[in-house]
Amino acid sequence: MRNPFSDFRILPYQKREIPLERIVRAKEDVMDKIVGGYLRLVEDEVKDLVWLVEHSRVVKAYSAAVKGIRDLQYDVDDIEEFCAELDSSSRIPYMISGPAGIYVSALVNHAQEDRIVLRLREYQRTFHFLGYRLPEGKVLILQGDVGDFIGAGLSGGRLVVEGSAGNWCGAGMMKGEILVTEHAGQSTGEWMRGGEIHVDGRIRSVGKTLFGGKIYQRGKVLAPQDLSGEI
Amino acid sequence: MVERSDRGDTLRKVWNRVRERHLFPELPHPVLTDSEENVALEIKGKRISLSKDFVEEMSQFLATEEVLEALLDHAVSHYLYCPWDFSTHLKLYSEAKKVLKDRDMAQKATDYFMDVVSDTHCVSKHDSPLPKLYQHMTRSVMDEAVHALYQRIWGVDLGIRGYEEISRKLSRLPYLDRSRWTESIRKFAKVVQGLLEIEERFDGLNKPNPMGGHSLDQYSSEEIEQGLKDFAMDSATPVEFREMIQDFEEEILEATRPKETGMGLGPGRALDADILYYMKLADNYSLPIRKIPMKKSGSLYPHQHVPWEVGKPYQDIDPWTSFGKILPGITQTWKRREGEIYGAEEGTPDCMVLVDSSGSMTNPRQQLSYAVLGAACACDAYLRNEVRVAVYNFSDAKAGGRQLLPYSRQRAEVYRAICHYFGGGTKLLLEDIDSLQTDRVPDIFLITDMQITNLEVLIRYFNEHKNRVTAVHLGDNEHVQTFRRSMALRKHVSIYSVEKKEDIPRIVLGRIREYFGTVG
Repeated sequence: MRNPFSDFRILPYQKREIPLERIVRAKEDVMDKIVGGYLRLVEDEVKDLVWLVEHSRVVKAYSAAVKGIRDLQYDVDDIEEFCAELDSSSRIPYMISGPAGIYVSALVNHAQEDRIVLRLREYQRTFHFLGYRLPEGKVLILQGDVGDFIGAGLSGGRLVVEGSAGNWCGAGMMKGEILVTEHAGQSTGEWMRGGEIHVDGRIRSVGKTLFGGKIYQRGKVLAPQDLSGEI
Repeated sequence: MVERSDRGDTLRKVWNRVRERHLFPELPHPVLTDSEENVALEIKGKRISLSKDFVEEMSQFLATEEVLEALLDHAVSHYLYCPWDFSTHLKLYSEAKKVLKDRDMAQKATDYFMDVVSDTHCVSKHDSPLPKLYQHMTRSVMDEAVHALYQRIWGVDLGIRGYEEISRKLSRLPYLDRSRWTESIRKFAKVVQGLLEIEERFDGLNKPNPMGGHSLDQYSSEEIEQGLKDFAMDSATPVEFREMIQDFEEEILEATRPKETGMGLGPGRALDADILYYMKLADNYSLPIRKIPMKKSGSLYPHQHVPWEVGKPYQDIDPWTSFGKILPGITQTWKRREGEIYGAEEGTPDCMVLVDSSGSMTNPRQQLSYAVLGAACACDAYLRNEVRVAVYNFSDAKAGGRQLLPYSRQRAEVYRAICHYFGGGTKLLLEDIDSLQTDRVPDIFLITDMQITNLEVLIRYFNEHKNRVTAVHLGDNEHVQTFRRSMALRKHVSIYSVEKKEDIPRIVLGRIREYFGTVG
């Protein structure tokens, strides 16, 4: 007699794993670590939910950020995704511009890739401090308008802003090059010691104290010849 | 190459195998057709149609069985996994549209995303010949990028070179995590935007995907109704709903046309997305209506058995349960109870809906209006009870700000009347309300913020008439307090406050406090 349940026999099933699962798992692991590192940095730096831009605090925050990411294996896609998380994700309860920009800069400076493009145009938030201490051999291209202290302490890298930069662009930069395709804000190049800043549009004002370096507006040298400030 | 006559047999054999592999989905037998468009397959009303030409073309590279199997795997995965239903399809499309801001590009991105999800699901679960098929297909720019992605996430070689950056970025998305599809499609759309722009330049957006597009034909009208209901609930404003629905206007009209009695718009009408929004939203709330109460009939009917005792009359003894004996404790007698019947006006009366659309009320076409939603829910409840609804939409009625719809069962007309927005002052004319009174004493449903200039006239009217009144007020103000105080002793007037969407289901239409204790 035919077994009436033969149609319901157990079908052989072999658990298959495609590379997608491994890729997604690895990516999520890295993102968890990057986000975790940022949250720790913010907790340490912003105990009173206020973060003042002081040289010592910036240096301390950067050192803490570098320490947090030292053993991480990540790439440019992870940095881009972290920026997107900062912009809109519920995973990050607070985005404090200063530490966030410093943390992204640390990620960029220690990434495997030498040329990194960040599409900031898509984000609602303004990012500050990007390109902080960008080292020699690195090229960072920021697409869209950016906030204050862009390229601060630049250390030999090439920073391209495809848009406008805020105030204090290139503050305290040591060497390297900053190119802004539109406008730059007040105190551009304040305390800069070397390197060049090229602004294709208008510079609102040049920093009052410059120790070296050159600032160009629409191809013409503004500093060191003119250190008066207002243009 | 297999002859065409044999192909039917091969399809039957392959279909049985595919069904078993996918655990017997409830789908009709697929057919081989002469496709007008150059696509591999189509799904219409759940039936999978495979293109004979495509199968023949691919049979040059693969065994016919493999071609059929791959196509069926693809189609069944769409049915079983992604998009699964119209609601999911609409949600994915709306997320893609938010990023791409263009209908054609958003549709294309949604189609590709759904293909990637369902194909990846299939390949991850089953030993499918899909990768072999993709090796030999002709590809557009977008297809090449997607196949480069497949190479990366499936671990196969489909012969694609290049597209490194795009495929790397796309490979990071968790396609098999349904709970993150909305987030994933946003990222997917962002990454492929450049390629879609290239396709647009070469008129590629109007061409269907080689495996077939995803039109709404694949869904039943019930699925479309349900999808619209879900989407209305998810949309924060009517504007958001309207923007999305207008992209599918023709398909939705087609799907809703045959069902005149349902929630559709009826024939010969252009799609008014705002009306559809309130229709579908109201569909999610079903308000109860109190029927006219029952009354005692005066006749006694056997109700329950009780043991017979000596001295009790014999006429009520039930011989069938008494074993033919007359013995106390064994013999059963019937206990009688007076029966209940409906009164002369049994059932649900018609309803006259008085909706305030003055300037202090929200414009229903801009923002979600609780007044219109409440009125829509009330209309829906009465129409479902097979009675008629009249609408009196008023702002400053004396200055012409009024619309009067006589008793009707035409859902679209009723909704159109309640969705109309006047703005301006608030004054109603009792003659208008009186003109809607009938011999059967209709129920009255009033929804307003009570900032009516002649509120005291309305209060007097409610005091003088016997209609069951359900008054819903939005917000709280001195006029609301006046109305509440004046109506406190009136048992035929029930007052509800609506502050948020969730308050609407608490409304009970036609409730009268007098019989609340006995019937409720």
